[in-house]
Amino acid sequence: MNTDRRRNNAPPGGTSAPVFARTIREPGYLQSLRPRRSRGPNELRRIFLQPSIIPSASGSAYLEIPTSSTPSTSTLVPPTSSLKITASVQGPKPLPRSAPFSPSLLLTTTVKFAPFATRNRRGYIRDTTERDLGVHLETALRGVIIGERWPKSGVEVVVTILEGDEDGWWGDSASEGSANGSGWGLLNVLAGCITVASAAITDAGIDCVDVITGGVAAITRNPDSRDQKDLARLLDPCPAEHKEIVAACAVAYLASRDEITEIWMKGDIGADPDALIEGATHAAVGSLAVVKDVLLEALQAKFQGQLEVKESGVKRKAGDVDMTG
Amino acid sequence: MAPQQAALVNLSPAELSFLRSSLAQTPPIRLDVTKGPRDFRSMRAEYDVLPGANGSARIALEDGTEALVGVKAEVERSPQRPSLGAHGEDVDMGDEDVDESTGKGQNGWVEMSVEVPGFREDDSLPVFLASMLKESLLASGELKDRLYINARFHWKLYVDVLLLSPALSYPLALLSMTTHLALLTTDLPALKSEKDEDPLFDDDWDAAVPLYPKTAGKTTTDKPPVIILAMAVGPNIIFDPCKEELAVADAVLAVACTNTSSSSTGARIVSIRTIDPPSHLTPPGIPNSMNSATGGTAPTSSADALTQRELLASSGVWTPPRGGMKRNLISQVTKMVVESGGIAEEVISALAAIEVG
Amino acid sequence: MSLPSLALPGQLLGPTDKYLPGPGTHIHEQQIYASIAGPVISSPSKSHSSSTTTSSKSKLVPLLSISRPPTTTTDPGILGTGSGGGAPLLPAIDDTILGRITRLGARFATCEILVIGDTVCREAFQGQIRREDIRATEKDKIKIEESFRVGDLIRGVVISLGDQSNYYVATDRNEFGVVMARSEEGRLMYPVSWREFRDPVSGRAEGRKAAKPF
Repeated sequence: MNTDRRRNNAPPGGTSAPVFARTIREPGYLQSLRPRRSRGPNELRRIFLQPSIIPSASGSAYLEIPTSSTPSTSTLVPPTSSLKITASVQGPKPLPRSAPFSPSLLLTTTVKFAPFATRNRRGYIRDTTERDLGVHLETALRGVIIGERWPKSGVEVVVTILEGDEDGWWGDSASEGSANGSGWGLLNVLAGCITVASAAITDAGIDCVDVITGGVAAITRNPDSRDQKDLARLLDPCPAEHKEIVAACAVAYLASRDEITEIWMKGDIGADPDALIEGATHAAVGSLAVVKDVLLEALQAKFQGQLEVKESGVKRKAGDVDMTG
Repeated sequence: MAPQQAALVNLSPAELSFLRSSLAQTPPIRLDVTKGPRDFRSMRAEYDVLPGANGSARIALEDGTEALVGVKAEVERSPQRPSLGAHGEDVDMGDEDVDESTGKGQNGWVEMSVEVPGFREDDSLPVFLASMLKESLLASGELKDRLYINARFHWKLYVDVLLLSPALSYPLALLSMTTHLALLTTDLPALKSEKDEDPLFDDDWDAAVPLYPKTAGKTTTDKPPVIILAMAVGPNIIFDPCKEELAVADAVLAVACTNTSSSSTGARIVSIRTIDPPSHLTPPGIPNSMNSATGGTAPTSSADALTQRELLASSGVWTPPRGGMKRNLISQVTKMVVESGGIAEEVISALAAIEVG
Repeated sequence: MSLPSLALPGQLLGPTDKYLPGPGTHIHEQQIYASIAGPVISSPSKSHSSSTTTSSKSKLVPLLSISRPPTTTTDPGILGTGSGGGAPLLPAIDDTILGRITRLGARFATCEILVIGDTVCREAFQGQIRREDIRATEKDKIKIEESFRVGDLIRGVVISLGDQSNYYVATDRNEFGVVMARSEEGRLMYPVSWREFRDPVSGRAEGRKAAKPF
């Protein structure tokens, strides 16, 4: 692969999380640090969303899903990670000279982890995971944008992940990949990217068929029970809180049309993925409520002056409709 | 970024509209009228084509797309990591030798590269294809455990996928079937050394063990996954769409599945992804009523044009599809794929038949 | 059903037989939905000619649209009102534009479109003025170098979305053409006729397709 020659880079091996002497000496102590899910199975983590944060972009948003567990006082290592994502929308702007004529809006999505976003440092050049996330995000957004209204132009959605959800608990990292498949944190990251990009696009005023939001659901196996079939479905899983995730699914959901533009499902799903998809859409609807509230609030602030003038007029018109109907 | 679909079809809005309406009627009429919605394109397949690889396969579709997959395995030293729970493991050594490789495999032991002519290796299409193929391969966890040799060494499996022809249609299904066939015929040299010794292998190729063990008696072992492409047009679901059909799709779904471990019929899903159909980028048609060259009146303002365009929705003038896939369609697709006697079983047994026959 | 005062994308606004979809809305399954966020405006539709809509629609139904944020309140500076203010703007056919000539060719002049309507673009768009679009009369006698010079500011109208890289711009009306020009000595000139600008100091005249001053 190509390497980054423009910067002085850290050693290519990556960095490992520090291992503290006490955790090695007492295996039981390590397990006592393991975070547990304190929410109900259908309860989402809290979401913070703020649109219009980057003045130079035509639309932008910031999303934060804070860590759900309380920081422990006995160790420096945070028990679970939180999710912090910014999205900015550039454009619609003219296409580069070399690009061929396009009858509709050309969407480019860039997803990049900040080098400090994860426990292992990431480089500046996008790796395959980030490109893959970019394709997922593009698929999710392409179906939503009404591209034919913006002929001959391009729009760039740049998503930067400042802090990403981890794939598992840090204490399990020695036996990385012990569960079937991995990369569960990426599903959370993708769902967050979809939600924040959707808010940014709405902020930019690009025609969309709906406010799209992302949601994640997972099937986990209860480690305490002997029964292999003891599976539980959870919404918005935090991978660090579960020892074994069997399957997980992220969707991008259009609530008002009951349509899905993007599914990313992996793991041992079995023959019937419907329950998992339904769980993920429920999670998406949950975050939709937040997105709508935040966007409406921002909109009210933006149109304050304009609305006050119109207010009386609108009311009278509404009355008229009632009369005729 | 280069447009993702290099093979963007050049169909006029009228052709797109015609194709869509014939695909959306019941029963659908496909571009190849001899095929039903569930029929795959015919193909030629062969395996063990590369003498230098542990396993290989080549599949050519009737439209000329051709893929070659080589699987090579190399012995690699496992890095020794400081392990956190090491003390705990030593204690219950006694009952562990049932299958000591279970859960030891690591995702990094399988490396997949996809090369599509006309694309750089870091373009989004090859990256997407590689990660989908790899993800479905690793989903079950059984493959990577078989790569475990001992505590110090493991097999590193390189799966190199080469598309020999330009990407005429979306090549995911073809690549996955070729990979399936190649992995199915991959043999690893038999191990002669024991436990944690430096690995020593039998040089008799006839003694080599297959990576995916053949059916031993009644129990069916797992098979490599295959990815099946399905697209939705209106209420219809069409499998294995060709390039022109993809250009009018409402939504495209890639379903990776493998055979069930419990029963011999049906299949289980290991991964699902949606694929962005090229139909979103097709040019909208201009109706005669809006075209002054055909006796209509061109709209006077852009707002007016927009209103007229929106009112056209059901008139048959081509408009790129919007939105995604209905949820009931998705469950219909997955059902058709995994059910007993469904698409997945058909494809897997057909590919298995190539090897036997 | 009364209309909401503010709408978000995907919000149901009304059935298609009671309203017409305007900018910022779209139709999905016979219902009008919002497609951008903003206040909903219902305005009596202009009398649609019956040739464009079906005869049942010939009765007047209100046009629903969603207005974009006012562009005047947002200045693109770093201390502006935040992002999302400026309605993303693309040149459309019949838009009046201001631009600067960047290159002269034998058959066309190239300009960069800086202002569309009353709004300053975030980024300049490439425009092209073909020789036959410079003025409406005696098109065969037009010479590019007697109409424009590099650096002139022009007012024009977009006549086509053009080819892959250029929007086509015309200056073939009285009020379109060069609005500001500098002489060879670099002094700002004033227009004296529809085809001439004059240097205030040297008094020398230079040929331009001048826009009619208001």
